[in-house]
Amino acid sequence: MHSIGYRANALLTFAVTILALMCAIVSLSDNLNSPSPTAQVQVLNINWFQKKPDGDDEVSLTLNISSNLQSLFTWNTKQVFVFVAAEYETSKNALNQVSLWDGIIPSKEHAKFWIHTTNKYRFVDQGSNLRGRDFNLTLHWHVMPKTGKMFADKIVMSGYRLPEAYR
Amino acid sequence: MGWIGDQIDSIKSLQFRQVLTQAVSLGMIVTSALIIWKGLMCVTGSESPVVVVLSGSMEPGFKRGDILFLHMSNDPIRAGEIVVFNVDGREIPIVHRVIKVHEHQDTGEVDVLTKGDNNFGDDRLLYAHGQLWLHRHHIMGRAVGFLPYVGWVTIIMTEKPIIKYILIGALGLLVITSKE
Amino acid sequence: MISMDWQGQKLAEQLMQIMLVSFAVVAFISGFVLGSFQIMLLIYASGVLLTSLITVPNWPFFNRHPLKWLDPSEAEKHPKPVSANTSSKKKTGKK
Repeated sequence: MHSIGYRANALLTFAVTILALMCAIVSLSDNLNSPSPTAQVQVLNINWFQKKPDGDDEVSLTLNISSNLQSLFTWNTKQVFVFVAAEYETSKNALNQVSLWDGIIPSKEHAKFWIHTTNKYRFVDQGSNLRGRDFNLTLHWHVMPKTGKMFADKIVMSGYRLPEAYR
Repeated sequence: MGWIGDQIDSIKSLQFRQVLTQAVSLGMIVTSALIIWKGLMCVTGSESPVVVVLSGSMEPGFKRGDILFLHMSNDPIRAGEIVVFNVDGREIPIVHRVIKVHEHQDTGEVDVLTKGDNNFGDDRLLYAHGQLWLHRHHIMGRAVGFLPYVGWVTIIMTEKPIIKYILIGALGLLVITSKE
Repeated sequence: MISMDWQGQKLAEQLMQIMLVSFAVVAFISGFVLGSFQIMLLIYASGVLLTSLITVPNWPFFNRHPLKWLDPSEAEKHPKPVSANTSSKKKTGKK
């Protein structure tokens, strides 16, 4: 009774309980942070725009993405996953979300970035509805913590339009 | 002779009681674990509220051995969410990020395409043969919380079963031999 | 064999809890102020190590009130001190 083993066990249990509590409080402390990220996306060029043999429209874009996500980082942030998606509505689908580009930001120093890129993932519609289509470009971010709750939010940029004809 | 018999009887009854108490306390441990698990299932609405990451396909976000807490609400699935899904013909669920969503106008059904952050291509190669999209019923839940390293316990136990048996044996021994 | 007396056990347990909680508070505050998760974990881990070094082994410090057992001849004259023993056991067990 109350031997070395008993005390070691009690200590370990108590220490782990407190550690879990600390992690929970750390995760809660993320709520104190009120981020104010900014983002801007420009469509520089429509490289090509065509109907694939199976009937779906596909378009290739050149994008210029600049963003400042530094305010998202807290002491509990492991990384921020950021991606740009095209979002639009067609007669067939109430909502289409197509990722065009994504990236992983490992630290606060890299959170202010500027990139010039063609779409990393194929921009393919389900069907042939892209001609003259208005779409939004949305910058989403997903904050991955060292421990605890994950956060996600987005900035919607509207007013983009695909051309009326294939090219 | 009668005195010795009494003694033996008292020892026997004592041991019987002790064994019974220990069995009950062991049962309490097992059932409370079950209650917690089932309670989590009710609260989160997911079949398995906690999953262990088994592959490195979401690195550096999730490493092997990390634990994810899942939540399955009725909210529609959107791009960017990390979902856990089952593919027909595969036993082990996969944790990947949604990169494309097409929600049908008439039925409200969603077509979803996923990709691991650390993989080059999307997941069509992982899906069942000829399957292009995931649907609602494939998805077990979306990841909402994260705890590092804790899942290593289960990974070690599934990969080295001997350790599991040693641990179970030691715990059982501890419960049986402990008094009070 | 040297071990802890009752007061020593109580002291060790209280010391363990107080030390761990205060190390946790210090670790959290310094981690938060310095903005480093790693510093928090390091401070807490060293706190756990220190606490286990202090409270787990049978230091003579915890054995300053050893029980004075009665002589067998003395014990014959009195009823067995069973009740006193179990009550102090319960006290420590409750913690």
